Order: sequence, then structure tokens, then C-alpha cells
Amino acid sequence: MLERHSALARATPYRSSILRMGEAREFSLVQVAGFGKAFEKAITPFLGKLPAKVGNALDQHGRTLMRTEPNQFWIVGPENDDIAAKLHTHAAVTPLSHSRTRIVIEGAPARNLLAKGIPLDMHETAFKPGVFAMTGLHHTPVLLHCVGENRFELYAMRTFALSVWEWLTDAALEYGSQIATSL
Amino acid sequence: MTAFRRLATGGRIDRTRRHAFHFDGELCKGFAGDTLASALLAENITLVGRSFKYHRPRGFVSAGVEEPNGLFTIGEEGRTEPNISGTTIELSDGLKARSQNAWPSPAFDMMAVNSLAAPLFQSGFYYKTFMGPTKGSWMFYEPFIRKAAGLGAGTYMADPDRYETRYAFCDVLVIGSGPAGLAATLAAARTGARVALTEQDSELGGSLLSENSEVNELWRTEVIAELESFPNVELKSRTTAQGIYDGNLVALLERRDHLRPQPRKGEARQILVQLRARSIVFATGALERPLVFSNNDRPGVMLASALRTYLNRYAVAPEQRTLIVTNNDTAYGAAFDLAAAGVAVSVADHRSTIAPALLNRAASAGLAIFPGTGIADVEGSKGVVRGRLSGAHAAVVECDAVGMSGGWSPAVHLTSHGGIKPRYDETIAAIVPGDLAAGHFGAGAVMGTFGLASAISLGSAAGINAAAFAGLTRKSKPVAPPAGAEDHSYSILPVWTAPRESKGKAFVDFQNDVTARDIRVAHEEGYHSVEHLKRYTTLGMGTDQGKTSNINALAIMAGLRDVPLADAGTTTFRPPYTGMAMGAIAGRTIGHHFRPHRRSPLHDWHQANGATFLEAGLWMRAWYYDWAGDTPEAAYVKEMELVRKGVGISDVSTLGKIDVRGPDAAEFLNRVYVNGFAKLPVGKARYGVMLNDDGVVLDDGTTTRLTDDHFYMTTTTAQAGEVMSWLEYLLQTQWTDLKVHVTSLTDEWGGMAVSGPKSREALQLAFPGSNLSNENLPYMGCLDIRQDGVRIRLLRLSFSGELAYEVHVAADFTASLWEHILEAAAPLGIKPYGLEALASLRIEKGHVAGLELDHRNTLDDLGLGKMAGKEKAYVGKELRFREKLQAPDRWSLVGLELLEPDRKLRGGAILFAAGEPIKGHGRGYITSVTWSTELGKFIALALYQGGLKHEGEEIICAFPLKDEQVRARIVSPHFIDREGARLHA
Amino acid sequence: MRIPCPHCGERDVSEFRYGGDATKKRPAHGTGDLKAWHDFYFLFDNPKGPHLEYWQHVLGCRQWFRLERNTATNEIGEAS
Repeated sequence: MLERHSALARATPYRSSILRMGEAREFSLVQVAGFGKAFEKAITPFLGKLPAKVGNALDQHGRTLMRTEPNQFWIVGPENDDIAAKLHTHAAVTPLSHSRTRIVIEGAPARNLLAKGIPLDMHETAFKPGVFAMTGLHHTPVLLHCVGENRFELYAMRTFALSVWEWLTDAALEYGSQIATSL
Repeated sequence: MTAFRRLATGGRIDRTRRHAFHFDGELCKGFAGDTLASALLAENITLVGRSFKYHRPRGFVSAGVEEPNGLFTIGEEGRTEPNISGTTIELSDGLKARSQNAWPSPAFDMMAVNSLAAPLFQSGFYYKTFMGPTKGSWMFYEPFIRKAAGLGAGTYMADPDRYETRYAFCDVLVIGSGPAGLAATLAAARTGARVALTEQDSELGGSLLSENSEVNELWRTEVIAELESFPNVELKSRTTAQGIYDGNLVALLERRDHLRPQPRKGEARQILVQLRARSIVFATGALERPLVFSNNDRPGVMLASALRTYLNRYAVAPEQRTLIVTNNDTAYGAAFDLAAAGVAVSVADHRSTIAPALLNRAASAGLAIFPGTGIADVEGSKGVVRGRLSGAHAAVVECDAVGMSGGWSPAVHLTSHGGIKPRYDETIAAIVPGDLAAGHFGAGAVMGTFGLASAISLGSAAGINAAAFAGLTRKSKPVAPPAGAEDHSYSILPVWTAPRESKGKAFVDFQNDVTARDIRVAHEEGYHSVEHLKRYTTLGMGTDQGKTSNINALAIMAGLRDVPLADAGTTTFRPPYTGMAMGAIAGRTIGHHFRPHRRSPLHDWHQANGATFLEAGLWMRAWYYDWAGDTPEAAYVKEMELVRKGVGISDVSTLGKIDVRGPDAAEFLNRVYVNGFAKLPVGKARYGVMLNDDGVVLDDGTTTRLTDDHFYMTTTTAQAGEVMSWLEYLLQTQWTDLKVHVTSLTDEWGGMAVSGPKSREALQLAFPGSNLSNENLPYMGCLDIRQDGVRIRLLRLSFSGELAYEVHVAADFTASLWEHILEAAAPLGIKPYGLEALASLRIEKGHVAGLELDHRNTLDDLGLGKMAGKEKAYVGKELRFREKLQAPDRWSLVGLELLEPDRKLRGGAILFAAGEPIKGHGRGYITSVTWSTELGKFIALALYQGGLKHEGEEIICAFPLKDEQVRARIVSPHFIDREGARLHA
Repeated sequence: MRIPCPHCGERDVSEFRYGGDATKKRPAHGTGDLKAWHDFYFLFDNPKGPHLEYWQHVLGCRQWFRLERNTATNEIGEAS
């Protein structure tokens, strides 16, 4: 029986009383792309209203829709989501569930933690729930989605996920982790 | 004789919190709120170090960041930090400070003999002594000179402290928290703008902290209290704005080391913040400058403002008598405050006419005033005994300290970092900021306006304007000044040079021991430009970067050249404004976190199963496995044999993988590859090569047609990112009419190569339900199958030259599938093989890879010219046929066989024709080397002038680094199975 | 430096890659002789001052665009 093996399967967990960090598995990520308005019209019946511009996320029908390029969306849904099959004839559908490792970061210091590595304004008036940004962390591309006042979902490239995790847990040492650090 | 004492009352120190510290091993005591400098002065330690070249005794000149003299080595072992100014170190309990450049002690310094050899060390000493005919002597003298001259020494031990970097944003950044900065911050805050106020000092207040005015202190505390009530304001003391860069990027250094000498786990000692501000208010104040006269470097000769700061902020005063020498009104503030503290004060004032109000106040305070008088010299060797005046009153004045004021230099540094040249303002005899950039505002002394009332009103206006620039236009009422605030007069009389009576060394740059005479020598020898002057004399270099010396030097040079000071120019101001720890620049980009590592989905398996890793680019790759040997040399040969004779499995997840789809996908690929892809049948893979526009090879790989409009491209590991960006560039900017989407699948899919004569058998065992026969899955065929509901892509490709397959599957399933194949095919003896064997197998086969595809070689150089379509257009076609790229003697691909059995071929070896002298760049070089298990000898791929035209010739492979030369023969680069029988088996 | 991505808004320069001179017209596919390609690929004005360049938001939306940048001051203009 083939079993899934996460990029963070052997990562050292992070523990702290004020900051929670960990991998959030069990999701599906499907990228749909097409050309022009006709494409958007074709997929709307399956997805609902589409986010108007790059950087906006909409939660609909148990899925999160993100416009990641002018003609491209990410659909984050439950692990067994069948949306890919439904959209197949209407758009270029690319399953990407394995390509990203999703890390949840939650707690009062979350914004300060992220500001140590992400060159975006993390102030609560600037990066609000419902907003996402594709940016860089530790020299790697990441998608950061603000899902609550101090709750974030970070999509790291799977092959870089352990490095990103090690970077995060190192940066979060001051918030009270029990793991040891290395130089 | 120079002596200082602590007053029983007053100052901003906390007398209830004592701090014990060590200076040169001696136990000293101070208070919380002291700096190292104020605590040493309070202990009457006035001689704290020796000068850079002449080893002259030195004490503190200033009370701030401009300090040129009072440098210390702070801390021990890994925390040792040299060249830290005592005037900026906050005293903490247990602090350990050592003096520098003196042995055995500052008071008795053996190297003071350098003073006698002083003529040796004048301007251009190094150039004159060690260039030209006597150049060789540098080798002999260097160790002595390095020992005799210099500042503190660092440590080789690792710094145990943690440093971090951070990004920050705000609407308005105010730099400096004097009256102008406080007013600007408050005014900007009232508009609702996000405001950050940075202050390098431990306390907010700037010049107000050096005063002794209850009414101003009340204003300061009220403003700070109001600022603290704003949620949109961040007050950052102990934070230095070190530099301003493009796009209003400000580098801020936050220091936290005062908080805890032993930081808690994970707590950074210093943080380098990259702050983006929409607008900036410069309220950086001004620095007082010294006067130039004989022996002006004696301990006890200080800036008048420094005496005032030590008195009012730290309750430290000269023992009995102080001589103030000035050319402007501001030094009277120090004079009055010292007199009020019981110090006998004399004032020598260069100006013959002094404001009557000032004279009246001086008279009632009991000051002795000498108008029209300067200072020529001070007497005393390790301190000041008396000052020798010159001019209208050539008196000799007994004193414990000399407070000098040559006027004020606005701290224009940050305003100039963007390349804006400051300009000379004659009315205040000072360099002021040039025209500020859009979004930059200034107020207070930095703009050349001295005085409390104008600092507050202009600061307030600057804060409102800066907020408006940032888009915050809400009305904000101007900040009210303290009751009775007014602007005192300045009335400066420029004085740059020493009086004629000055006979001894008159220092301009204390830290670098540059005297007025050195500047004269530089001028005589033709170094007139300020940039030349700086480099010839070292003036303005060092930790203080000439904060106290630059303008005096410029003025002296302008005088020598007989040009107006405005025309003399200034040197360039560069970041950082003050010294900083290298650790803060590195942040956490050290050691394990130096760069990210990229790991295959099989990484954990490799780690658990005896792989040794090799860093290849960012990737951590399984290099070889311990089943085959303990060293790469031993292991890869066994792993090669496994593949040649049986079956092996190797991780190829690092290959770039790109999803190409859309109605024009075939046309798109047909354009980017030199060979045809338009007619590639569905279910078939094809090897392809791409060129850059310049006709040079960019990358190669195999691309498979999955459906009519859907392709699966692979690239080399090294070029994956480059190829992806290139395809996006073409689609998004050049061929916008093509309907094609490209998406990287490198992270989505894992891959493994199953190679060797038994590989079909192995996969058949792993996937018993699938038909893997030669007919159903021929060479370059593709088959998508399912196992446990998981889609698996089988591609019959070979890098090794053997019957081989690539098995691709979604990343999370890769490890599980790998284990499944290993288990199923165990009866065949399948084992993993690593990168070294993978790369060696392809050399035997003659496949080019990254080492040959180095962005310098053409298709023809690599023997691939025939692949290119003759009729069709492809990227790089036109420039491929440039004359030089078609020259017959270009270095092109050959194989090499070693002719000396007990020796080695080496990558990078330089190739020469037999009998040719071993000199220069040769006729080519070896790109890749391996031991050939099939041939039982070392073989190599190489680029050789004229290429295979020389097949069969014997050549020399020279490796000068090891002084080796070996003989080899040029052969075809395809060492095995030239007909491809194994591939098609 | 801050660069205004036409799709993501203003971002830090570290998210972008530089892609060369955008003032020159690349010959259409399959057209242009050796000289046309030579001139396109190798000849540049290298101006000091305002310039039009290609940039890619490589850590962001991966879109290429043209950006006005002053090569002397790094002043940033329009992105399109």
C-alpha cells in the first residue's frame, strides 16, 4: 500500500505557550489556468465567485480560491476534493497538492516572527485576514495566507519545506521553544 | 592638572543602582545611567588610551558617537569587541573594558617612543617608504609596524551571541529625538500616520538631556508621555539609523545588549532592521567641532558641549578650574552651567565683539572673559595643567580641563547617503544638507537652524509635511514649545587653523593622528582634492569616520589652496553612520541557516539507509551508499557495476519538471527545442536541446507528449529555474499569441531511475498488473499506470546507456513507491546507487551534462549539430551560425582514455598536444572524469581544439596544481554500446 | 529598491529577477537575419538615466513586465 510521506515527517516539532506552529496536512491544491474571460465564465459555475485580483482569497463551498496570476487560480480544498475532474474540460488543471507543504503559524508573536524573514508589511492594518501574498522566505518562494488576526497559512515549496521549517523554528526560539538551536 | 569628580547631586544617573566594572583589570564603580566614559571620568580616570601612530596619551574628547579617542575593547573571549567608544557604551554591572594600543598601560606606554620617530609617520609614510626601490623592505617591517600602530584587536573565537535581521514598515520615520525630532513625531502622530522614532541614545531627548532646565525637561517628559499614548507610534531608543538606501530603505541597528549581558535563548543581541518609510524626517542634530591648536589632544581638552553633558547628565565635573575656548555663543551654555556647579570658569573668545547680554550674564556668574583671544597651546603631558592663550589676551590660565568649541557641524551624513551632496553655508560656517530628496524633510540643527524654539516649530512642520507626503492629511495642531523657549544667538566667527604661536602638534583628526602640518605636507605634495587628502593622510577614516575632523581639514586645505571653502568639496558620506557588529549584518545567515537546502522526497529514506550526501547547488543529493563502500571512490565503482550487470535504483527527483499545456503547446516546444516536437506522437518521449538567443546551448532534457495539448518536460537539475523563467519570458513577452501554460512540477513529482539489464524484470515484479514488454513500453515510450489508486508515470529513458526506466510519482508517495520497488525486486539484487555512479555511467555513455553545458558551448561543440532541424525555425538558430561559432578549431567534445595505468585523469586538467611545451591555456580541458568499469581504466570527457579530427592522437593532460602530467588518447566520447543495443533491449 | 508589480503591487526588489533591456525589439520567431539577431542580442545603449527594462516577479506571481527605472538614481517609474 503506497503511503504518503510528508516533507516534515522527521522535522523537530515546535512547542511554545504563545506560538503554535505545525504542518497542516490533508488538503488538496489544484491549479486552474485558462485564457481570458471565457475561461473564468466557464469555471464560475463550479467554484462560485472568483477573486477579482491577484492577492485576494475567497472562501466558498468549503474551498479557498486564490487568484495567483492574472489567468490562474489556486483551489485549496479538502484532501479528497473532486474539483479537478469537474474542471478538466474547461481549463488547464494541474494538481499541485504534493508540491507545497502547508505550515500553520498562530499566536500573538506570529506577525513579528514572519517579519524576520518576509519583506512584506506584516502590520495588522496592512496584512489582513483574507489577504495572501506570494513572496520569499529564506530565499525560497512561499505563499503566505492570512486566515485570522494572528493566524497564517504558509505554503512552502515541498523540496524547501524542511529548510523553511528550520528557519521558522530558529526564528521562533525567543518565543519559548524547547528545541535546541544550532549555529 | 586634569582632574574630574562626581557631584553629590544632580544628573540623570540613578545613584541607587551601583554598577561595578573593570577597566584594565581595576575594579571601578559607577551608576545606572552612566556611560563607560562618564563613569571613568567620575573615577578621575582621564587617560584612557594611546593614539594610533604616535602613542600619545589620550582622553575623552566628546560625550557621544563622534568620539575619536576613547576607544576600548569590551568584553571577553567570544564576546570581545574592539574599538568601541566609551562615550556610547552604557555602563552595566560587570562590564569589562580594556584600553587599546598601549602596553603595558596607557599611563606608561613603551611605544610612546614612536613620538620621537614622528617625522617617519607623516603623510604618505607608507607610500614613501615602501613603494618604489625600497618596496621589498615592507616584508621586513610590516610585523613591527602592525604591532606599533593600530587600534584594538578582535578575536578569532566565535561570537556566542545571536543577531537577527527584520523587515519593518512605516509612514513616517523620524530620525533623532531631540526637540525637533520629538516635535516632528508628535505632529506626524496626530495625523494618524504610522510613525517610527529612532534614537541612537538610551534615552529620548537629544540635546535636552545635556541641559539643566526644568521647564525643558517638563516639556520633554510630557511630549514622550503623549507619544506613548498613540497606538500608531513606535519609539525606538538604542536604535541607530545607519544608512539610507534606494526607495527610502533605512538600515536601523537595534541594540538590546544593555538589557541582559547574557541574553536568553533565542534573544538577539542586535537586530538589523530594514525599514521602509514613505517619508523621513531628519532630526539628527549637529556635532560640535574641536579647535586646532598645539597639544589639543591632551587628556582634559574636550568639546565644550561634552563638558556640559558630563556635568548635567552624569554629574561629573572638572575638579576646580575650566578654560572654555570658543568662536561662538553656544559654549557659554557650558560655561554658565559649570560656574553654577562651583567650577571656576575662564572663557577665551576668538570674537572681539561679544553680545552684551552674554557679557552681562557672564559678569554676574563670575566668569573671566578674554575677548579677541584664542588658545595656542596647553601645557601638561598626561593631562592639562594650563592653557596658553594668544591674541588680545596672551595670558596663561591654570585649568583642569579645556572646553573648546569651533562651532557646530550639522550631522548631514544620512541626508547624503542617497548621493545628495551637502553644501557649505557661509552664515553658519558649516556644511548643511543639499536639496533633500522628495519625501525627505529635516528640522533642527541638522538643517543649520540652532535654537529650541525653531527646532520645535520647524520639527512640527516637518512632521506634518512628512505625514502629508505619506498620504496622511488629517489636520494636526502644531506642537507647542516649552514656556519661554527662544532661539539663542550663534554668531560664529570661523576659526580653522592654529594660531601662529602654536608650535607643537596641532591635531585635526585625533583618531588617525593627522595634524595640521600633515595637511600642509599633503598640499605641498600635490594632494589637493579632498578625496586625495583623505587617502594620503588617512584623515577621516577609522571608527569615527572624521565626525569631528572633516570640516576643519577641508577648511585648512581650502585655505592652503586659497579657494572658498564652498569650492573645496566634501568627501562622500557612506553608511554605516556608526560602527556595528559584523554579526548584525549576517543576522541568522550563518552556519546551518546560511542558505536553504533543497531535499528530494526521498531524503529521509537516503538518510536512514546509509547515504552520504553531497551538496549540489542547493540540493542535498545522495552521493553514494554505504552498502557499496565507505569512500566515494570505492562505492561508485560498485554501484556502476550493479547497473551494468544487474539493476539499480537512483533518485532523480531533482530533475526540473515542467507541465506544458494548451492548444499551442506543440508549436511552442517546436520553437524552443532545436529538434522537432510538433509531430511527436502521444505517449512518446523525445530528447531535446534548447539554445539561448545567442546560439549557445542552454539546456537539454526529455519531453513527453501526454495528450495532444499536454506535455511533460524535464530539464537538468542545475538549469531548471533558468529554463522555467526563459519559457515564461517567451510566452509572456514575445509570443503572447501562443496559448500555452507552463507550471513547474519539480516539487509535485518525485522521480527514480531504475537501470540495468534486469530493470524491466524489476519493474514487472513491482507492477505485476502492467504490461511492460518491449512492444507495450518501447525505448522512449511513456506509460501511465496506477498502483493502489496512485498514478505512476513510467518513462523508458536511459541516462546510463543501459535498459532503463524513469518512474515518476507524486512527491509524498515517492518514498513509499521506492521502498515497494526495492522490496518487490529484491530477488534480483536491486540496490540504490548515488549521484557519483549516476554521473559516471553517463560519462561512459558519452551523455553531456552540466559540466559540458556551461553556457559557452554550441551544439556542434558537443557533437549534437545534426539534431537541429534544417528547415524549421528554432530559438538561437540565426546566431548559432555566427562565423566564430562555426570555426573548425573550436574546442569540442572528445573522449579521453588514460594511457598510464597506475595514474589518474583529473577534472579541469589542461590539455596539450604531445611534445608541446606545458604553458598557458593549452588546447582544451577535461570536463568530466570517471573510472570505467567496462574498460577497466580512467576515461574522461573533454573539450579539445578541433575535437574528433584528432581522434587517435596521444595528448598530455597537465594538472599544474599537483604538478602532474599524464598521457591520454583522444577517442570517441561514446565509450560503450555505440549502436544502442542495450537501450532497445 | 521597491518595484511595483503590475499584479501584486509594490514589493521588495529581492522578489524579482532582472531580465535585461526592454527597449529593443526581438525579431519575430523565424524572421530576422544574422545581423538583425546580432544587433538585438549584442548591441545595447546602456543609458545613464531613464531606462526600460524587463523584470520578472520570480518569487511572486512569476509574471514578466516592463519597468521604467533610472539607472543613475534607481528611481522607479511605471510598470506595464
